Amino acid sequence: MGFTLKVEGSSTIDLGTISITGVKFRTDIPHDSNARSTDLGSTVEISGKILTAVDGDPFDATRQLGLWSLVPAEKSDCYRKVTIEVIAASQVIRKFTYPNAFVVDYKEDYGDTEGVGTFKLIVKQKKDKMAQIAVEGGYSV
Amino acid sequence: MGLRMKITGSESVELRETSITNVVFGADIPHDSNARSTDLGSTVLIEGKILAAVGGEAADDTSKLARWSLVPAENSDCYRNVQIDVVNASQVVRQITVPNAFVVDYSEDFTDETGTGIFKLLIKQKKDKMVNLKFEGGFSGE
Repeated sequence: MGFTLKVEGSSTIDLGTISITGVKFRTDIPHDSNARSTDLGSTVEISGKILTAVDGDPFDATRQLGLWSLVPAEKSDCYRKVTIEVIAASQVIRKFTYPNAFVVDYKEDYGDTEGVGTFKLIVKQKKDKMAQIAVEGGYSV
Repeated sequence: MGLRMKITGSESVELRETSITNVVFGADIPHDSNARSTDLGSTVLIEGKILAAVGGEAADDTSKLARWSLVPAENSDCYRNVQIDVVNASQVVRQITVPNAFVVDYSEDFTDETGTGIFKLLIKQKKDKMVNLKFEGGFSGE
């Protein structure tokens, strides 16, 4: 199972299958509602590896994710378009599009036993723009 | 044990034993009541696999579940009819019909270590329509 992540804003961040290790998609609805609630949100969690460039390769874009997580709310650049693809057996299983995504959590973890660091990025769609989310999938690459 | 789920609404979703791994049915009653409470609800959790289509077959219906979870409350399509069958040894052990089901939680989990994704769908029956929930079983069928 492979994943690609694309973040479009003031700059474009591209991370591919060698970097990303997991994607979790969640629809946030109050559990205690007696009927369908209008309080609807959506969260996606992306985890991956922070790879070191060798042989003169360019550095991966994970540092840009860290910078995005630090953009203050006063700037429009804190909202970016996020596209995530889940690919297996030449099929696009899912394509999640969050046109107005903002960061709610970003974490990087480094230890002395692994050769790579890991990151975890949690983004949400702006709640008043929930209708713009697209979940597609089930077609060939 | 074979688990099957059929959802009918503006579109129909059918998932079979190849996909669904777990079903948990629960009646929600306040634990602190001193006598039988009128505050009665019902929640069903369905867990299963998100399979990749191979050999030119059609993709599974799990992406429709994700889209159902995002239907706003203003749209009547957020309520759908859900039927869950538990089939074992040519017997339908349970047939649970939730006619006005709505989503209270939906998650999908993909990792690079497994070949399939996992979904979790938590649904509830609309609380004022609890009498319409059907809890059947114990008849033969496949």
